[in-house]
Amino acid sequence: MSEHAVDRRDFIFRVGTGAGIAAIAYQASASLRSLVPNVSYDAPTTVKLGPVAEFPDGLKFLPDERLFVFREGNTFHAISAVCTHLGCTARAEALSSPETQQVGGKALRLTHRFQCPCHGSKYNGDGSNVSGPAPKPLAWYHLSLASDDGQLVADLAREVEHDFRLTV
Amino acid sequence: MAQTTTSPGVPRQTATAPGVHPRPFWSVRPQTDRQSGDAIVSNFLLHWFPAKTYKPSMDWTYSFWLGTTSAALLLLLTLSGGPLLFLYVPSVERAYASIKDIEFAVTFGSWIRSVHRMAAHLMVAAVFLHLIRVFLTGAYKNGVGQGQRREWNWVIGVAMFLLTLLLSFTGYLLPWDQLAYWAVTVGTNIASSIPVIGPTVRELLLGGRAIDQPTLIRFYVLHVIVLPGALGGLFLYHMWRVRKDGGLAKADAVALLGDRIETTPVKTKTYTLLGVARGTAPAVRTSTIEAPDLTVNSVPDLTRRIAIVVLGTIAVLSLLAVYARSPLEEAANALVTPNPAKAPWYFLWLQEIVTDTTIRIGSFTINGAFIGGVVLPGLLVTLLTLWPWIDKSPLAAAGVWLPRTRRAQNAAFLAIVAIVIVFTLIGTFCRGPYWNFYWPWQAWPEIPTRL
Amino acid sequence: MEQRTNSPYPRLDKPVLAIVGLVLVVGAVLFTINDREHEWRYYQYQFRRVVAEKLGAEKARTVPSGLQQIWVPSLGHADRCVTCHQAVAWKGFEAAEEPFRTHPAEPLKGHPIEKFGCSSCHGGQGWAVDVGPAHGPVEHWEEPLLGTQLGTEYSLVDNKAALMQMNCNTCHRYDRETKGAEMINLAKQIVNARGCRACHVINSRGGTIGPDLTFVGDKAPEQYEYGRLSGQRTAFAWHVAHLKDPRALVTDTVMPNFNLTTKEAQAVAMLILSWRKSPVPAAMVPGTPRTDPQTAGERAAEEAMKIGPGAWFVKTGCFVCHSIAALGVKSPAQIGPDLSTAVDDVQSRFGRTVDDFLASPTGTMSVVLSRQIILTPAEKTIAVQKLREAFAEYQRQKAAGKTPAVSSH
Repeated sequence: MSEHAVDRRDFIFRVGTGAGIAAIAYQASASLRSLVPNVSYDAPTTVKLGPVAEFPDGLKFLPDERLFVFREGNTFHAISAVCTHLGCTARAEALSSPETQQVGGKALRLTHRFQCPCHGSKYNGDGSNVSGPAPKPLAWYHLSLASDDGQLVADLAREVEHDFRLTV
Repeated sequence: MAQTTTSPGVPRQTATAPGVHPRPFWSVRPQTDRQSGDAIVSNFLLHWFPAKTYKPSMDWTYSFWLGTTSAALLLLLTLSGGPLLFLYVPSVERAYASIKDIEFAVTFGSWIRSVHRMAAHLMVAAVFLHLIRVFLTGAYKNGVGQGQRREWNWVIGVAMFLLTLLLSFTGYLLPWDQLAYWAVTVGTNIASSIPVIGPTVRELLLGGRAIDQPTLIRFYVLHVIVLPGALGGLFLYHMWRVRKDGGLAKADAVALLGDRIETTPVKTKTYTLLGVARGTAPAVRTSTIEAPDLTVNSVPDLTRRIAIVVLGTIAVLSLLAVYARSPLEEAANALVTPNPAKAPWYFLWLQEIVTDTTIRIGSFTINGAFIGGVVLPGLLVTLLTLWPWIDKSPLAAAGVWLPRTRRAQNAAFLAIVAIVIVFTLIGTFCRGPYWNFYWPWQAWPEIPTRL
Repeated sequence: MEQRTNSPYPRLDKPVLAIVGLVLVVGAVLFTINDREHEWRYYQYQFRRVVAEKLGAEKARTVPSGLQQIWVPSLGHADRCVTCHQAVAWKGFEAAEEPFRTHPAEPLKGHPIEKFGCSSCHGGQGWAVDVGPAHGPVEHWEEPLLGTQLGTEYSLVDNKAALMQMNCNTCHRYDRETKGAEMINLAKQIVNARGCRACHVINSRGGTIGPDLTFVGDKAPEQYEYGRLSGQRTAFAWHVAHLKDPRALVTDTVMPNFNLTTKEAQAVAMLILSWRKSPVPAAMVPGTPRTDPQTAGERAAEEAMKIGPGAWFVKTGCFVCHSIAALGVKSPAQIGPDLSTAVDDVQSRFGRTVDDFLASPTGTMSVVLSRQIILTPAEKTIAVQKLREAFAEYQRQKAAGKTPAVSSH
C-alpha cells in the first residue's frame, strides 16, 4: 500500500465522519425547529365588541379584550387596560368629581382613573401615567364600526393618538 | 463529538500529576496502548468498557450488535421524544388535535413523530432478536470467570423486554384516535380477566372503569417518566453487569477453548476493592487476557464500531421515517368499534391466541383472554426467566451459536419463536373485518363510510 | 515509547463509518426536502403573482406567507384552508378559478369566518395543509369536502354543490325554512307533507312504529345493512336507495314506498344525515332563546301601554322609571314617583312649577335629562301638557271614587 493510498483513505474517512457529525448536529437543530410555532392560536387582533347600543354612557370594561371602552354621547374611545409596566390588568376607579380636560386637543370628560394592582402604577383618565413604575401612558386603540352589522370593532394592533374619537 | 489530535509520534510533554489528565478530552486517536487505556480510565462514559476487547467479541456475526442497536434506538427514542414532549398535550380534548398539529403544522413534526414511532417498533423487534440471540448462544451461562452472574443479567434483560413492550403500549394510547382507544380497550380487558384481582388491576390502570382522561394521564406519566426511568436504570445496570461478568460469553468460550499458556491465575482484572480482598471479582487468567493477538484496544476499535452501529441506526431511522408515515385514525369514539380492531402488532400473536382459547367445559366457561392473554404469556415469561437455572448444558456451550449440546432446547425455543412470529404475521396481514381470515392479496370487503 | 498494538479493524471499519456519515447526510437532505415540499408554497407563490398582475406589486407584498389558519375556539376547529385559498377575503377575484376565488359575500354576513371557520360549513379536514387530505375523501377522516366533486359522484339532481346544505342544517335544524338551503327546505316539506312523524320520532315528537330519527345522522355507517345495495357503500347512498324503495333494501320493512323522485330522495337523505348531535355553541343555533320569555298577559299589557293614553311617556322613555297610573302606564322599574300627580308633587317637593322644573331640573332628573332623555324645548312643552292631562285624569278618577293606586315617594 502506497503512502498516497493511506492518505486518500484517511481523507475519505475524515470527510465521511465530518459530514456525519454535521448531519447529526443538523438533525438535532431541525428537531428544535419544531418548537417554533408555525400557526397562531392567538385571539385575532381585530375584535367585534358588540352593538353600539350595548355600551352605556361612561365606561365599559371588556375583560376578554382587556379594554376600557368610553362612551360620551355619540363619541367613543378605547383605552387598553394592560399596564405598560409589566402587563397586569389595571383597574378603573370612578372619580368622585369627574372633570373635563383637553386631551389631544379635544375636550374629554374624565370619569375614572386607573391603578395597576401589581406594582401600584397610577394613570389618569386619559391613560397618562402619573405615578409608579409605569414608563408610558396606556395605549389607545382604533375603533370603527363593522361594515356588515354595525358592531363596534376594536383593532388591538393599531394604536392611535389621544385625539382619536369615533363618532357614531 | 470532541476530538483531539497530537502531533504524530511525539507525546505531548505535559506535567502529569497523578490523577490529572493532561488532555481536555479523551483521545479518539490514541498513539500508544497506554493512551488508549487512559482514554477509558479518564472518561466516565467509556468506563463500562474494558481497556482491551476480545477480537471475537467484536465479530459482526456473533452478536449482530443487537444490544447496541437496541440501546441506540432507546437513545433515539429519548431524543425524538424530547420535542414531542413539548408539542403533545395529554388531554382528552386536545390530544388528537395536538397530533394533527404535529402532523400538519409543525416543521419536521411529521418526521419526528415517524422517527419516534418507527424507532419504537424497531426497538421491540431489536430487543426480541437480542433475546433470541442470547438464548441461542447460551450467553446467559457463566464461563470461567469468578463471581460471574450472567443468569441475573438475563433476568434483567427479560424485564427490559417487558418494559419495552409496556412503553410501546402506553405510547399507543396517546394519539387518542380509534386505533389507540380500542387497542387499549382490548389490552386492559386482558388484564381484567385475571381471576380475583383482574377488575381491580384494570380499574387501577384506567383510573376508572372506562378509558377517559384519568387513563390518558396515567398512560402519559407511565410513558414519559416511570417506564423510561425504569428502563434507563435497568439499562445502566445491564451494561454494568456485562462488564462485571467479563464481557460477552464469547470471551469465555475463547478463554476455554483457546490455546493458552498455563500460568498461575492472577487476579489482573479486579473491579472493586472488596473484590480484591474477597477474591470474588471476576478474574480471567492472565495468559489469555493479555494475549496481544487476541485483543484490540477498546479505544478506538470498539468505540468506532459502536459509533457505526449507533450512527447507522440513526441514519436508517431518519431515512425510514421520511417514507414510513405514521397513521392517525379518526378521533377516539367510544360509540364505534373499528372493524377489525387490532392490538399493536407485537401483541397480535396474543390476540390470535385469545381468539381461539375460550374453553367451555359443560356449563363452565373460561374466557380466552385469561388462557391466551394471561396464563400463556405468563407461563412463557416465567419459563424464560427461569431458563438459566433449568439449562444444564456444559460450560462449553456458552458463547457458541447452536451448539450440539443444546440442540433440544434451542429447537424447542425456536419452535415457540416460530409460532409467535407466524401468529403475529397472521394477525397482522391475514385478519380482516370480524377477525376473518383473508390472504394478504385478497381484498377486504369495502368498509362503508358516511359519505 | 511503546506504540499502539496493530489492529485489523480500521481498514474496513473506517470506510464503513464514513459511509454511515454520508447516509446521515442523505437522510438529512431527504427529510428536509420532504418537509418543505407542500402544494401551498406553490399556490401562495401563484397568488402573489396574480395579485401583482391585477392589483400591483404593492398589494402583492401584503399577501401573507406561510401557514395561515382560522382558529375557532368555540368549535375546536383550526381551519388552514386559507393557506391556499388566500383570496377568500380579497375583493376582485369573484370570477377567478379556485383556489383564488373571493368568497361570496352573502353567506358570510350572518356567518363571519372568524366565528364559524371554513369546515363547519364546507366539511373537509381543516387541520390538513395538502390538497388530498384537506379535501378528502381520505382514509380516517369522515368529513370530506361537501363540494361539487362529491355531489357529482352521487349524481345529485340539479345542484351538484347541494351537499353542503347538510352542514347548514347542523345549526338550522329547527328552522322551517333556511335561506339558500333549497334541498333541505324541500326535504323538510316532504317530511311534513308525507307525515314521517306518523311512525318516526323526529326532534322528540312522533310515533314509535319506526326508529327514532332525531340523531340518526350519527349512526355508524357500518350499522346499515348493505347486502341488497348495489353501488357505493355509504350511509348516504343507503338512505337514497332506501327512501326510493324501502322494501328493496329491507325486505320485511313496514315503511311504505312514497314514490319519491331521485331528487326528493336525495334531499331527504341529506336531511336525515344532517340530524346529528353536534357540539355547536347555543349562540350559533337559531331559535335558541336568549331572552327570558314574556307571558301573553305581559305582552298584551305592554302593547296596551304603547297605544293607550300614556303612549307618549312610553315612547319617550319616562316609563322606565315612572309609572303614570292614571293613564294606565306601569313602569317596570318604578324607581321614580308616579307622574300622575307630578303637577302637584313637584310643587310641594321643590316649590317650583313643573314647567320650571323641566326647564332646569335638579338632582337625578338633571342627569337623566342631560344624558339619557334629551328633550327639545318643544318636547318639554308637550311633556308639561301631558303631565297636566295626567293630573286632570287623576283628579277625575279620584272624584269618580276609584282612587288610582299612586305610590308616592
